[in-house]
Amino acid sequence: MRDRTVGSEVPVPAEPEEKGDFIGLVPAPIVGPFRRSWAWFDDRTGITGLLYKGLYEAVPKQGGWAYTLGSATLVVIIVQFFTGIFLLLDYVPSVTNAYSSLLYLRTDDLFGDWIRGIHLWGAYVLMLLIGVHALRTFISASYKKPRELNWISGVMLFFLVLAMAITGAMLPWDQAAYWTATVVTNIPHYLPVIGNGVRTLWRGGNFVGPVTLTRTFALHIWVLPALLLGLIGGHLYLLRRHGEFGSWVNYRTTTDNPAREIAERIRHAEPPYPTRGTEPLYSVPSETVDFFPDQLFKDTVVSLVLVVFIFVMGLISGAPLDGPANPATLTYVPTPEWFYLPLDQLLVFFPTQLVGFGVFVIVGIGATLMLALPFIDRNPDRHPIRRPDVLVPAFFFIGTVIYLALLGVNRLYNL
Amino acid sequence: MQHLILSLSPTSVPGTLVTNTVLVGGVALLHVLFATFLIGSCTLVALSEGISMVTKDERHERLARSLVHAWGYIFSTGAAIAIFFVVFVLVGMWGRFFVSFQQFTFWVWFFEALTFVGEIVLLYTLYANWERLRAYRLARLGMVLLLNIDQWFQMFLIDVIASQMLTPTVQGATDNISYMLQFLNPTNLPLTIHRTIGNIAWAGALVALVSAFQYLRVTRREEAPALVPRQRSVVRALGAMPEGELVRERNREAAYWDWAGQWGMLFAFGLTIIQIWVGYSYAKEIQLHSLDSWYQMMYGWISNIFLAQFAGLGLIFIFGVAYFWQRLKAAGQHTVARRHQIALILLILLWLFGIQPAWFAGSYPDIVAAHLAKPFWDGGLEDPFGFFFPWKVMVLIADLLIALYALWSYIRARVRTPMTMGQATRSSQRLLIGMAVVVGLMMLIMGIIRESSRSPYLVNQNITISHQVILQQPAPNIPLSQRPIGP
Ligand code: HEM
Repeated sequence: MRDRTVGSEVPVPAEPEEKGDFIGLVPAPIVGPFRRSWAWFDDRTGITGLLYKGLYEAVPKQGGWAYTLGSATLVVIIVQFFTGIFLLLDYVPSVTNAYSSLLYLRTDDLFGDWIRGIHLWGAYVLMLLIGVHALRTFISASYKKPRELNWISGVMLFFLVLAMAITGAMLPWDQAAYWTATVVTNIPHYLPVIGNGVRTLWRGGNFVGPVTLTRTFALHIWVLPALLLGLIGGHLYLLRRHGEFGSWVNYRTTTDNPAREIAERIRHAEPPYPTRGTEPLYSVPSETVDFFPDQLFKDTVVSLVLVVFIFVMGLISGAPLDGPANPATLTYVPTPEWFYLPLDQLLVFFPTQLVGFGVFVIVGIGATLMLALPFIDRNPDRHPIRRPDVLVPAFFFIGTVIYLALLGVNRLYNL
Repeated sequence: MQHLILSLSPTSVPGTLVTNTVLVGGVALLHVLFATFLIGSCTLVALSEGISMVTKDERHERLARSLVHAWGYIFSTGAAIAIFFVVFVLVGMWGRFFVSFQQFTFWVWFFEALTFVGEIVLLYTLYANWERLRAYRLARLGMVLLLNIDQWFQMFLIDVIASQMLTPTVQGATDNISYMLQFLNPTNLPLTIHRTIGNIAWAGALVALVSAFQYLRVTRREEAPALVPRQRSVVRALGAMPEGELVRERNREAAYWDWAGQWGMLFAFGLTIIQIWVGYSYAKEIQLHSLDSWYQMMYGWISNIFLAQFAGLGLIFIFGVAYFWQRLKAAGQHTVARRHQIALILLILLWLFGIQPAWFAGSYPDIVAAHLAKPFWDGGLEDPFGFFFPWKVMVLIADLLIALYALWSYIRARVRTPMTMGQATRSSQRLLIGMAVVVGLMMLIMGIIRESSRSPYLVNQNITISHQVILQQPAPNIPLSQRPIGP
């Protein structure tokens, strides 16, 4: 597709003219001096073509605000990465120094406390966003053929983010962190056969101690983020491959011959999207717009609002730091973060004999069902009202999680 | 003149502690059956009306209309019982408790009364103008939603009162406590959720009950020629309706009632599944915050009623899955029907295991007192397999998973292969009736358990039932000059 004139000094990016020259959008005095360097760079990398491909993708006209959730999740994850790097400039992962390094960050380092606040509030917003994004893709039936792997990679991302949150909570090594570590690293031992081994491996011994912190630190800053980045890449690749057309609104037809209507739409669809015929009967929304500027504008608005919210909350509410970890205290009641309340409440409910069963079988069944959803629900119907067989059980599931969280709040309030 | 009223001794209230308690309980339970149906059916109306607006399904429209028509009667009767309950029964029999309790929960009652105003305005408007408002369907749905909000709020407020009696926020100091603490007392949240779900399930069960009776009536063989309710006399008098039309009408009616019965039962069955652990969480909060009451429920004489409740819960699932099985069989979906048959057998076995008592005596303290708190195979009166932990909990979890599976696979079968309505067997309708009766009984039993678990207290640790008797005796004759004036 590239239309390069051999020997010409200024290669011309050769994407369809009607898309508009986005470099041309930038005022000439700014972009002018860079034009030649850009051309040089583009010649070596093909960056302009890539940008065109990235920006001028067809996305459905309908439902644009709902599609901002995914990109906002991405933006907040990026915020987490950056603030995480800044925290690493001070933090020392050892039981003797972790707490004091945070005290130092808090009192002596310019903006240190704010960065910590942003990292915590970023985590809160991320949890909420990822949940709402998952809910939207679920309700809109975006997990259906051919987007099964979008869903599965999404669910895995969700678990990874949960794991990030729990490992992160142990790092400050204050009272809250220490007791969270004690409770959380204890959970694996309820597993039959390998349970004790896993607990010992994580703790680096029978009890929570220095090795526990080092291992959790390694998980939090290296193992989990590496997995997270890889999976996000996969998730986004799959998104581009199949197009942002998973939602049921894109499959709505208005005539009484839906098959024909959709066949018509496919005939008139713009190459290279929507997808290359993986889904002959259902593939095209009735109307599309370009990702840039329509969707990108919406994405930017939502992400910006959330980032500002995170920054403001990070400043005014910040992140708490308890007293230093003290294994000898008997009175300290660990209170989990709000997104772990449902799980914590489950632990409260199950009688000792059944905790293992409760945690692993019930949660395990829930996780497996979530992962297997696209294969359980293979009915091509996407309209929510015609999917009671998945929406009703999901209502149970979501209702349960919310109720457990509320009970947890109520319990903590009445301690 | 105010001195004169102070000088009067309160005349004694007729009846004894026991008869009065029974009267209070009886009237309260009766009221509850009406009020809960009203709140639950309001949600069902909103759902049916909403669905019929999206899908143009006339059955949903008809169901919503019938329920709204029923409201007029049900609300007026239920409200009359409520007024009788407060004015005559509570103030008359338990005046001391009611007045003092009312004082420190004043604003809760105040807003409760306000929600009644909202309810009267909305409910009667809808009842009297349902057909006329059809021209403004969205507005009508909006009013139904408003009514829902009003009634949920109403229930929430009365739950603050009820839960406050069981787990008062600050034990032993009922006055001057903040309203925030009252709202967030330990059992208010579980109670509210438990009742919200229970109300809808109860409304669903009643819809199933009425539909089942109607279906049985419509499909009664000997009545077949003259089945259409209002046309019966016409047919008899004139022989006017052609035979074919009559049969078609009959089939239409049978299809409707078959559908409505199934719709109601899905709510009764589905929501009862959630009750398993919402109820469990409720009991857990009682254990954490009012151990005495919990002990009475689990180990005292009330444990026997609790066991009946446990049995009732299992029966709901048994009736429900038996219905699914029958209905799927009638629809010719034999593979799925067989799965339900297996689920049914499992549920029955679990039920038989689960209803074992944990001890063969009135209560646990009885066998402890008799030094017989050991397994029956060691000569004691204990039955270790009857204990709640872990056995009954395991039965509950298994019930939950099986029932959830049954519900899911039934809905899925319905979605995948549309079912022709009107072919249900008559026995399947009897199962619906059985289920609805059990749901109703459980509503009553639940009330009895909760109210008796506080015994001898009315507000736990604060005021006892026997405190009420003081009012029933003439006041000591204090000379007028020594009587306090004013509060
Ligand atoms: C780190 C977390 C995640 C990131 C960064 C992310 C990012 C994105 C983005 C940018 C989109 C496109 C815009 C949109 O539809 O909102 C998207 C789409 C999608 N995501 Fe995610 N996501 C994440 C987690 C999840 C989770 C937890 C799920 C489900 C459990 C999920 C399932 C999907 C699906 C099915 C689509 C396709 C939507 C369609 O085509 O209609 N994602 N994701």
